[in-house]
Amino acid sequence: MKRWLALLLLMPAIAAAGSLKPLAAADVSALLAPPAHGERLIALWALDCAYCEPNLQALAQLQQAHPAAIELVTVATDDIANLDAIEKRLQAAGMAAFPARAYADATPERLNYLIDPDWGGETPRVLVIRSDGSRDGFSGELTAKQLQTLGPKP
Amino acid sequence: MRRTLLLWLCLTVAPVLAHEHMTMAQEPPLGATAAFDAHGRLWLVDAGDGHVRLRHSDDLGKTFSAPVPVNAAPEPIYAEGENRPKLAFGPQGEIYVSWSQPRARPWTGFVRFARSLDGGAHFTAPVTVHHDRAEITHRFDALAVDSSGRVVLAWVDKRDQVAAEAAGKPYLGAAVYYTWSSDRGAHFEPERALAQHSCECCRIALARTPQGGVAAFFRAVYGDNIRDHAYAVLRTDGGTSHAERATYSGWHIAGCPHHGPGLAIGNDGTRHAVWYEASGKPTIWYGQLQPGQRAAHAQAIASAGASHADIAVHGTTVWIAWNQVDAQGDALMLRHSDDGGLHFGPPRALANSTAAVGSPQLLLHDGHAYAAWNTASGFRLLPVGDAP
Repeated sequence: MKRWLALLLLMPAIAAAGSLKPLAAADVSALLAPPAHGERLIALWALDCAYCEPNLQALAQLQQAHPAAIELVTVATDDIANLDAIEKRLQAAGMAAFPARAYADATPERLNYLIDPDWGGETPRVLVIRSDGSRDGFSGELTAKQLQTLGPKP
Repeated sequence: MRRTLLLWLCLTVAPVLAHEHMTMAQEPPLGATAAFDAHGRLWLVDAGDGHVRLRHSDDLGKTFSAPVPVNAAPEPIYAEGENRPKLAFGPQGEIYVSWSQPRARPWTGFVRFARSLDGGAHFTAPVTVHHDRAEITHRFDALAVDSSGRVVLAWVDKRDQVAAEAAGKPYLGAAVYYTWSSDRGAHFEPERALAQHSCECCRIALARTPQGGVAAFFRAVYGDNIRDHAYAVLRTDGGTSHAERATYSGWHIAGCPHHGPGLAIGNDGTRHAVWYEASGKPTIWYGQLQPGQRAAHAQAIASAGASHADIAVHGTTVWIAWNQVDAQGDALMLRHSDDGGLHFGPPRALANSTAAVGSPQLLLHDGHAYAAWNTASGFRLLPVGDAP
């Protein structure tokens, strides 16, 4: 009963938050866990980054070309308190269909570190996590060549 | 009945949860600037509820005066990440404050300025310092006063990028523009370009030269998005300023590093600098700038997890402070050199924080150095040592 009550209490809050979900420190390990097959692309972006939206769109195209092998998750490094601005920007970029997270931690630099200790917070940043457990990180808007190497291996 | 209760709870609790998100956004941002005036009084500006706020402390930051609003009418203020309100003093005790004001469209802003001639009791109505009023980027303001009392402001400006785009020409990055006032901030000269192709999202470091002028050190774009740094003296005599490349790390990134450099110039003219790059592992570098060529005595100061370094020099003592993050939270770190930057001692933690932190600042007063650290659990001023 108690569990149901808690779940029911949360439902409207989740619905009110649209598709954007918080990313707290406790959620990072699940986000980074290798997918069952193919790869997960974690696209880190920021409201204050003019390079980020074209990069998100390029990753969306790549995902759509390989829908079975690539899972794409967008993560805004801005606090989820900026929910409206983040959702509006994702919508305008045609990214609303992809699972989306936004930082929800008192110390955003700590989240950066937990996601990737070798990342200094520059955006855009893409983290590739493959089913075999291997990982790669790319900073900056991806070149066509980099995008090719990001796709699933034939 | 039970079902009705659940429905009622859902309807009433959800707005409360939503409201909590709203209040989170209203916590004051951590962008702040601290500075000692000529008499050793510590001043602090930050932003909250649409106001830049000025406070002072006579006990090294333990207690502060009630805040004085710098701008009487509230307005949006950038005060996060690489943006923070700025504070500087004139030779007759003038208090100068600048900040960047977000406009409606993303990545846009105006550089704002206000002054107090009565020791911080009252401020003039804020003015926009640039003549260009297009709704584009004019932000990441930096403020300094030269030895003649001129008020110098530099900022990141996208007017040339916008013009190039309109003409169908490629243009990487933004530009750095600057202006100055020779009448204690009453009027500002028409702004002029300092350098084309700067980074769009990194703070500009300003420092006074031994000749009394103001020099800038900032992240610039070279070739195909190589984001190294440039150095320039901001001329206020009508002559043209020339920015020269001063770091050669070769970090290629078509993106936003959100990471500007630091600069402190010794009385002997040595340009002590710190900068961040991640061409390999993320690294904070120290070097002595020799514009046009590689920095002398370049050495890695800190690596992964290190960010937002500041630097200060007094005689042959050089201090570097930065934020170092790990899974536990942030530490305020310090290294210092007793031989003018040739060698630095090991890093030591001055303080730790599990709350959010702003970028650290090194302050000098009377041969004593302090690190200013604004955290979500309060402002801290930490002594870091005395010059011998």
